[in-house]
Amino acid sequence: MKFKKILKKWQVWFLLFWILVAALSISYQFDAQGVIVNGVEVNSSASLAGMTSPSPDTRPTAREHIISINDIEITDKEHYFSIIEEIPLESILRIQTSEGEYALLKNNESVGISVANAPTSNIVKGLDLQGGTRVLLSPVEEISSSEIQDIMDVLENRLNVYGLTDLTIKSASDLEGGEYILVEIAGASQEEVRELLGSQGRFEAKIGDKIVFVGGEEDITFVCRNDGTCSRIVACNPTADGEACRFEFEISLSEKAAERHAEVTKDLKLNYTEGGSAILEKQIDFYLDGVLVDSLNIGESLRGQEATNIQISGSGFGKDKESAIQNTIDERTHLQTVLITGSLPSEIEIVKLDSISPSLGQQFINNAWLVGLIAVLSVGLVISVRYRSVKIVIPMLLSIAFEVFIILGFAALFRYNLDLAAIAGIIAAVGTGVDDLIIITDETLSKETSARSLKERIKRAFFIVFVAYATTVAAMIPLFTAGAGLLTGFALITIIGVSIGVFVTRPAFASVVRTLLE
Amino acid sequence: MSESKIGKFYFKHLKKLAIIPLILFILALTGLIIQASVTGDFMNKDVSLKGGISSTVYTNQEIDESELKAHLGVDSNTRVLGDFSTGEQLGIMVEVSDLNSTVLEEKLESFFNMELTQENYSVEETGPKLGEAFYRQLILALIFALILMGVAVLIAFRTIIPSLAVVFAAITDIIVTLAIVNLFGMQISTAGIVAFLLVIGYSIDTNILLTTRVLKKKELSVNDRIKASAKTGLTMTFTTILALTAGIIFVTSPVIKGMFTIVVIALLVDILTTYFTNAGILSWYVKKKG
Repeated sequence: MKFKKILKKWQVWFLLFWILVAALSISYQFDAQGVIVNGVEVNSSASLAGMTSPSPDTRPTAREHIISINDIEITDKEHYFSIIEEIPLESILRIQTSEGEYALLKNNESVGISVANAPTSNIVKGLDLQGGTRVLLSPVEEISSSEIQDIMDVLENRLNVYGLTDLTIKSASDLEGGEYILVEIAGASQEEVRELLGSQGRFEAKIGDKIVFVGGEEDITFVCRNDGTCSRIVACNPTADGEACRFEFEISLSEKAAERHAEVTKDLKLNYTEGGSAILEKQIDFYLDGVLVDSLNIGESLRGQEATNIQISGSGFGKDKESAIQNTIDERTHLQTVLITGSLPSEIEIVKLDSISPSLGQQFINNAWLVGLIAVLSVGLVISVRYRSVKIVIPMLLSIAFEVFIILGFAALFRYNLDLAAIAGIIAAVGTGVDDLIIITDETLSKETSARSLKERIKRAFFIVFVAYATTVAAMIPLFTAGAGLLTGFALITIIGVSIGVFVTRPAFASVVRTLLE
Repeated sequence: MSESKIGKFYFKHLKKLAIIPLILFILALTGLIIQASVTGDFMNKDVSLKGGISSTVYTNQEIDESELKAHLGVDSNTRVLGDFSTGEQLGIMVEVSDLNSTVLEEKLESFFNMELTQENYSVEETGPKLGEAFYRQLILALIFALILMGVAVLIAFRTIIPSLAVVFAAITDIIVTLAIVNLFGMQISTAGIVAFLLVIGYSIDTNILLTTRVLKKKELSVNDRIKASAKTGLTMTFTTILALTAGIIFVTSPVIKGMFTIVVIALLVDILTTYFTNAGILSWYVKKKG
């Protein structure tokens, strides 16, 4: 029996071992149901109830599952949102998850959980396929790597405070010593991201030319958000080209900042408004990155006082009232965010900003299966015509399929998101793989009159395979540092792919074909 | 012509055939130099390399591309994206360098008469400084890759002339392919340059096969060694070309389409460089060494 003989080859067992590893790491879930928690917003109802964001290293299938809300079993993301929407404000909801049960007070339209449909496997679709925003940031001036880390911390905090929790932040450097920060966010608009990440976020409250307090926890101990009693939209008025609304919210100052307030205001003179109330001669001006956001009058009672509660205000605009309110809410959230998280240690700029619609992703995936199938069929066709033997064609096609499967397993294992670059890498690896299989087959089949053994011929085939392997790896290595880290994934997947091929699938193929043809 | 007649003709004229890729190489190089002196660059860089915005509106509205271009009012590229398998139009892709993203979005909204949202609109914006850095570094990466590849081949074969022949074949593949791509007026993206790196990985396979067979398979005549390796090598090349062509037709992503097109052109060029020039050099080299 040839089959028994094949099972005696260690190369075949080695391949089976890797197939098993890949299967475990992909860990396909046949009964995936419900939603998983990808992030929890800071200070949201969910975080106050004790829910936490998963660490970015947690594999998708191992993330916290939301099983039910108020005993209603959750089927998918849409269902989750409709359930949350139905629950009236100021009421308690009980969320049963894989980790435990939480009681949340719904005090806002969102409870602050970023969810996704329960994954069917650990293969994560990248930004190109699931949609989202990718930003490449670069410091304006040269800075050290520890400063890069500081910037990344502030950015992450800023995004989280703003309500964006499903994200990854990585740093990268390039061939010319340029430093970059790559941020990928699921579900954020381009404008939001541009405002949040593209600016240093330096907030200053000044009276005259004296700074009273700045953004960040040193001066600001509390910022009122999500609470109608101290944070609100006050009035909307028509303007020349639309509508404008104002927002106000309260903050608490630290003792030091309050002392500064007393110091700066104590010698100011009084003015009287038309209504007759006494105000200080100078206003308090709020600046964001050097631009005046708003100015407020200071009442007489605050003169020389160590005021710890301060009102912040600003405004938003829009074509109509609805969009003006939305814009005002966005502006307010942005300002609250920078007040909480403070300014970046140094200035950065957006050098690349991609915002990808999720609508094409699914289409691309369906299409990718079709293309893969057609590609495999065309490979099958050429080798069938050439070799006219199922003993060669079937092991070859199986070898290609296993190779793709093991590459996907590696991607899942190293939590590498499957994006366009990764797919291109898989194609590249499989393409060279087919080349190698043909070389191995021809060396095995070659009818030589001399006494050279089959073993020696296969050895020669592997010499060619290894040299070809070395040149492919050589061609990919420079990509690790070129292109600000955006091409690293492609290079990595290609190298992993050709390595799996050379060390795992091709030896197995060679020994199987040799046994079958003996 | 029967197989043996082709073989006879081929081996009789191998020295002359070897010149063909050399001529192509010189023509291509001249073309690239002319291109560079006219446009300032060896290739038509797209917005990912020169800076600008590439945006896609997902709509099945049929439009007149020239009207869209006129509406945008700046130098632009437009393309209709379709799914070949269903025959449906997926969207319209627009590339501009001289508009900011807000203005572009407004212009597209007024042209298509629809509100662009995250659902129906993708936009990729590359700053000009980053685009230039990508370009410089990828060209550098390409040169590094060639050098590393040369070192790998030299270590493997331990002989100078055959190794140089392999490196020369790779350079010819890249230069001639680039000239052809320019001739078609195709723009090259970041992924396009990466495709040239893949060319190094792919096209070299047949050269390595040929060199190994000719230098190491001592029991056959040189011509038979070349013939046998051509049989294997051409099977390799045609499977890849067929699979990639299927990809070019069916894949919906313009990025992948572009990469595949470059690799297919390079594989076609490589048939000539491998079996004319490299085979010619190897045949001469082995005969000289006795």
